[in-house]
Amino acid sequence: MAYKHFEIIEKNVGLLGILIAIMVSLGGLAEITPLFIEAHTIKAPSGVKPYDPLRLAGRDIYVREGCYLCHSQMIRALRFETERYGHYSTADESVYDRPFLWGSKRIGPDLARVGGKYSDDWQRMHLMNPRQVVPPSNMPGFPWLADKKLDAAEIQASMRTLRRLGDPYSDADIAGAPAAVNGKTEMDALITYLQGLGIKNEPTKTTSAEASDGGQP
Amino acid sequence: MSTGWSLWVMFLVVFNLGITLFLFLWGPWVKIPTLPDGTSGHIWAHGALREGVRRLPRWWLLMSASMFIAGFTYLALFPGFGNFKGLLGWTSHGELARNVASNNVAFAEEMKRFELYPVEQLAGDPAAQQMGKELFGDDCAACHGRTAKGNQKLGAPDLTDADWLYGGDGKSITASIHDGRAGVMPPWASLGEDNVKNLAQYVLSLSGSPYDAAKAAAGKPLFVTCAACHGPDGKGNQALGAPNLTDHIWLHGGSVADIEATIGGGRQGHMPAWSRRLSDDQIHVLAAYVYHLSHRDDATP
Repeated sequence: MAYKHFEIIEKNVGLLGILIAIMVSLGGLAEITPLFIEAHTIKAPSGVKPYDPLRLAGRDIYVREGCYLCHSQMIRALRFETERYGHYSTADESVYDRPFLWGSKRIGPDLARVGGKYSDDWQRMHLMNPRQVVPPSNMPGFPWLADKKLDAAEIQASMRTLRRLGDPYSDADIAGAPAAVNGKTEMDALITYLQGLGIKNEPTKTTSAEASDGGQP
Repeated sequence: MSTGWSLWVMFLVVFNLGITLFLFLWGPWVKIPTLPDGTSGHIWAHGALREGVRRLPRWWLLMSASMFIAGFTYLALFPGFGNFKGLLGWTSHGELARNVASNNVAFAEEMKRFELYPVEQLAGDPAAQQMGKELFGDDCAACHGRTAKGNQKLGAPDLTDADWLYGGDGKSITASIHDGRAGVMPPWASLGEDNVKNLAQYVLSLSGSPYDAAKAAAGKPLFVTCAACHGPDGKGNQALGAPNLTDHIWLHGGSVADIEATIGGGRQGHMPAWSRRLSDDQIHVLAAYVYHLSHRDDATP
């Protein structure tokens, strides 16, 4: 290669673009592809089960209302986060989260392990109007959730879709969905979803023991 | 990461750094054919634009060189080159463990001192109060409020008064925080609307609030049902968490409408257990702070 070859690159915008794209994508290829391709090797830990119909409906409402725009579900391995929210989040806890709701905007508190932190009544009052329980809160209220009943057919459809993607729902699980959500409002579903977050899937090891394992990055 | 993917990452790193390092080292030494007019002969727009030949400026070379040094140093010290763990052996989990450990050391001495005192005594300790206040703000204020005055709409009790649902001694407060509490007032709508109203008037009479005497008299015989938990004189029962009805302190509101709603619809009180989220040391300090809230006058260290 000599200097004269560079004339071709300099004068061909298309070729220049392709070569730039290759160089820029190297970082992504190194960082993203291995995790992306190996994602299926991550198995759910014993406490993590596919969402039952009511929680699944609540999760869909969480997505629809855009809760993830202000709340993350990803406790970072930083002391000020583990002390406030609990053990840092691990990849295998999100096996049944499609799409995952880790989020990156942290306007409100992290919700990865919020389940059981407050009572159902607190969650209900807080979702109706957060100022009722937390006067300085800037979170909007979601009172309409209490008026809308759940649509069982829609939940069954999303269970079937998730089964196609590999979640182990049985026919009985799907058939039982209408009974499980019968008469429940969207508010009930969202509260059930929130109250289940992180409750069963917290790694059993203590923070300090787990943290000293050296861990895979 | 499997060996295959590790090699993949290593290849990409070498490829990327190889190309850029080659260009960086080769650039200053490359022979650029120069025409007599001082250009390279590369022309655009039919000769209107011609490429001059200049050496790369020194500041650019220095900055580029320092970037390469920083990059290679990083790859040597930290994980990044495939499965190579880096000479420092750094991990984010390891750093967290170090931070937690150094934080524990910073508080160890004070925590050891706190452990020596029972809750009632610790309540007077300014350092414990300060630490307890922080914990209270993080974990308790959502229901009991920042000033600990409670929330009647939620049924979260006021912690600043001397009235306790489950007992106000250090042990009881610690137990309430550690294990949580579940209060259940069953609904009595089955008694009929009139009876609920009469009972509400009788309940009002117990605390000396203004009440309708005729209705209260009609409700009085029904109170035997309530007496099972609230006691025959309505003074409550801390073993069950049944509130004292004879004081002017109301858990779910003391208006006629509130009391009728409480009797007719029942109430569910739920204090979550904190043993999963807080250490025993933290609960001890928190209990002391809560004790302090209702005993602000008698400060004994």
